[in-house]
Amino acid sequence: MIYDVRQTTTCAYASPVAHARHVLRLTPIPRPGQRVHVAALQILPEPQHRREGLDFFGNRLTWIEIEEPHRMLTIKLAARVTVDAADEPGALATPAWEAVREEAFATSDIGPLSPAHFLFPSRMVSLDPEIRDYTRESFPADRPVLDAAIELMNRLKADITYEIGATTVTTTPPMSFALRRGVCQDFAHIMISGLRGIGLPAAYVSGYLRTMPRTDPTRLQGADAMHAWVLVWCGSPHPTLPRSRGRVGWGWIGLDPTNAVVASDQHVVLAVGRDYTDVAPMDGVIVGSGGQRIDVAVNVTPAG
Amino acid sequence: MAAHLDKIVEKETAGLEQLVAAYRPLPGIFDEMMDGDGRVRAHWQPFLSMLAALGTDEINRRFAAADRYLRGSGVFYRVYEDAAGIERPWPLSHVPLIIEPSEWKQLEAGLIQRAELLETVLADTYGPALFSSDGRLPAALIAGNPEFLRPMVGVPPPGGAHLRFYAVDVGRGADGRWWVLSDRAQAPSGAGYAIENRLALSRAIPDIYRTTRVERVAPFFQAFQAELLALSRQDDPQICLLTPGPMSETYFEHAYLARYLGLLLVEGEDLSVRDDGVFVRTVSGLRRTEVLLRRIDADFADPLELNAASRLGAPGLLQAVRDDKIVIINSLGAGLVEARAMLAFLPALAPIVLGADLAIPNVATWWLGRADMREEMIGELDRMVIAPAFESQTDASSSNEVLGAKLDDAQREALILSIRDRGVDYVAQEAVTLSSMPVWRDGHLQPRPFTLRLFLTKVGERWEVMPAGFVRIADNADARAVSLQRGAATADAWVLAHGPVAETTMLPTAERIQVQRATGLLPSRAADNLFWVGRYVERAEATLRLMRAMINRAAEADETAAPVIAGIASLLDAWDAVPKDALAAPVGFITRAVLARADLSGSLPALTGAARSAASVIRERFSPDAWRALNDLATMVALPLAVGPSESAIIERVEAALRIISSLSGLAQENMTQLAGWRFLELGRRIERAILTGRLVRCFAMTGAPDGGLELLLELADSQITYRQRYVMVAARAPVLDLVLLDPNNPRSVAFQLDRIETHLSALPGRSATGRLSPVQQIVASIATRLRTVEAAAIDEALIVDIEQSLMKLSDAITAAYLSNNERSEAVWEALA
Repeated sequence: MIYDVRQTTTCAYASPVAHARHVLRLTPIPRPGQRVHVAALQILPEPQHRREGLDFFGNRLTWIEIEEPHRMLTIKLAARVTVDAADEPGALATPAWEAVREEAFATSDIGPLSPAHFLFPSRMVSLDPEIRDYTRESFPADRPVLDAAIELMNRLKADITYEIGATTVTTTPPMSFALRRGVCQDFAHIMISGLRGIGLPAAYVSGYLRTMPRTDPTRLQGADAMHAWVLVWCGSPHPTLPRSRGRVGWGWIGLDPTNAVVASDQHVVLAVGRDYTDVAPMDGVIVGSGGQRIDVAVNVTPAG
Repeated sequence: MAAHLDKIVEKETAGLEQLVAAYRPLPGIFDEMMDGDGRVRAHWQPFLSMLAALGTDEINRRFAAADRYLRGSGVFYRVYEDAAGIERPWPLSHVPLIIEPSEWKQLEAGLIQRAELLETVLADTYGPALFSSDGRLPAALIAGNPEFLRPMVGVPPPGGAHLRFYAVDVGRGADGRWWVLSDRAQAPSGAGYAIENRLALSRAIPDIYRTTRVERVAPFFQAFQAELLALSRQDDPQICLLTPGPMSETYFEHAYLARYLGLLLVEGEDLSVRDDGVFVRTVSGLRRTEVLLRRIDADFADPLELNAASRLGAPGLLQAVRDDKIVIINSLGAGLVEARAMLAFLPALAPIVLGADLAIPNVATWWLGRADMREEMIGELDRMVIAPAFESQTDASSSNEVLGAKLDDAQREALILSIRDRGVDYVAQEAVTLSSMPVWRDGHLQPRPFTLRLFLTKVGERWEVMPAGFVRIADNADARAVSLQRGAATADAWVLAHGPVAETTMLPTAERIQVQRATGLLPSRAADNLFWVGRYVERAEATLRLMRAMINRAAEADETAAPVIAGIASLLDAWDAVPKDALAAPVGFITRAVLARADLSGSLPALTGAARSAASVIRERFSPDAWRALNDLATMVALPLAVGPSESAIIERVEAALRIISSLSGLAQENMTQLAGWRFLELGRRIERAILTGRLVRCFAMTGAPDGGLELLLELADSQITYRQRYVMVAARAPVLDLVLLDPNNPRSVAFQLDRIETHLSALPGRSATGRLSPVQQIVASIATRLRTVEAAAIDEALIVDIEQSLMKLSDAITAAYLSNNERSEAVWEALA
């Protein structure tokens, strides 16, 4: 599927900002199953300094510095992206979750998408015993890892109410789990906390869903905004240890707990990290005395 | 003659025997001073004999002198858990650890070897990561380490090395071998305290110190300092020590080291990262720095790319590192090697990297991320310590350690489950037993377990080891490393030299070091604090003088004094020094309120407390004496007053406070080596004094002033004697005004303050276009001109109000020109999204 992605991020400040420095993670990059034909960021006011680069996980970063006083900062993304429909692995054919865990512990891969990076607590995802125990219910001994993870995803969708405003960008997984409420970020963080709690690698993805009319019954939660979901590591496709017959490692699989679906060609990936803080669309330090309001408008439509 | 000498030896031996008679090494552990047969080890004998020769009373006296020295230098440490952030006196245990030369050589070689190994590990981890890909360092061991800074991967450390100042904690096992307990690579602390311990002890027992041939520490720091200078590419390098600030546990040490090494002590707020490098905001504008000795943890270094909540770092610092603009010591990310889990892999890496085994082994450690180790160690749980894999072994984290043998069944089961879930998070370590050394308690030597921190610095391509150490001694006799908790005492370590000790070692670069010290810069933040210390102290002094005048007049029991007393009360009220409802109260009540009501912004506790707290964040700018005077002032003022009607307690306190302020003025002038700093303190005082004098004149010398107002004014301005000499008559308005406002020779006149202000400003770096007076100077010049041209008789209230307002404008202008950084005046830090 080919999409045109448009995102406009507007920061309005109550009083003029004299100086601002930001890191933006707002440009999609090519990934397995995703091609980026064009992607451009337009920034107003024009930054005095601007640099492009990649972070450790391979995400695209834009560093900007604005030295002139401004009351408004606008960042516009225009991109065209092709997303392939994912090869559906047979969930029951994936390796036992304990084997995946041991494989992740022992991996010699330290590269950007090594499971090793996604095993540990991170800035926003602590390892919460309650979430871990909740997760364990889906992971009896020897169950295929993806089969168990999909069940966990479905339980989260059933047990947690999608509610905008119940949580904020800084809500931690134990808090939203206790509330049993949240938005995509909370669903993703809770699921990540649970999987890591039992020793399984899980990553956080920020991105977009295809925009659908509100009346469309197939419309997913989180369209028209930035979305977040989870990557679960399902064993190396090229294992160094022998596997029991018929079990296939599949690498990273996208699971969207907010919608209880396996990520496919409706999901456009923007950035991947350990949790929200690794992929936050915009970080910054500003000099100013007033408050601020941020508006985000997203439109993802099939091209042509 | 020979017989005489024999007698001396005999006498000394007898003294030594008596000194150690009651000393009993702890069962089953190695004692540094006494061997297994109860004999004092040879390298301790000279020291102990000399100590014994002093006799118990003299020993106590000498050791007390060391404590006095430490108090006098203001050595302290802060206890985090303490809500009040109380500074604790420095706990020095006076008996040094004595290390013989041959043993030192071995330690030295072993530590240098270890430093080289760790440097290689860091270079590989942030570089090609071959140790991971070939399985020698599991990827999860690196990836799970919170000090593994992903933004630094692939970035070669500016200056060419990750480690430049490295510390190791060692302990000696029951078998007499030294073991490495942990590595300190992030921002090792303790070296400054080691210097202080050395100074205190060498002054308390100078004769013993000189006679015992002890290796000196100064050459080590001179080498370190020279290396810092060599890393800078500028001709006039500004090397900074980046501190988290005065709330940090070891702030004293930061300030001390900065002074000792001639570095500029800065906080993150003082730094500005720009496209072309890193700069310090100083009173003379932005000054480039290329070398940063950091005492903040790496995660706090840059809110833009690391911990967004950090206010301790400088946004953009990581980019400056990537651009090779700044050498940070140690490199951001070097803390990686502190993790305990590393100890499990270093012994096997050593032969590959160094071609040799580790000469000093580290604590036997197993990482439980490996399936085979995990089950084996679960089987051996009873003789193991289980600890977090990625924390370094610090006093603070030792509560996270678990002794397998001490668990009950339920705890044991829970721990095993956790280990099976997430073995990557745990290590098993053999429980370590430490050796003991003597401490002096209640007139006796007693054995206590200890650890020894040793410091290394990289000089060129070589490593040098500080031939001394920082000893921490457990406060009880439990000899497991685990029990070394906070509350421990510290001691010096004396490394005995083979030959004579050189008293001074001058390195080739010493001359450059001298120059560096003479041109210390003043960060704007520090100048701002000094300015306010000056203003608060001056306001406190004026308040004290008013109180004194008030009490003296009340004591005369003269009805005619009532209007003047009422005038003083209403001025104290205007300064928010007394509660409104107290204005009609007796003088004792009013003055008591000024001393007690810390909630009022103009009360003495509030003023002196504000002065102290402004000074505390720039403590390194004060001499210990000046700091102590300021501290004494705030402490004394805040003490509860004895209840009672008598004003004598109050007047005593007021007089004492005035005496401290007057000594403080002298100390500031004589001891403040940072010249620009002293000028800002002075500017604060002079401006405040000029404003307050104007105010006093309006209250006590203008129309409607109370009878006796002019005499009061003369008293407050310290001008009675001058006045009597000149006029020999009762106070008259015009001559009094002339003396208090216009006379350039009266040190308390407004004209005199302006003269001083002009002098100070002209000595500060100019901040305006050449040729013209700066806006700040223009304000001063205009006030000064008015005072020079006006006749005393023509002075009216409007003129004084006008001058006061101009002075306030001057204060703002100085702030704008020198003290605030325009870039971040009202800094709001926010992580968006």
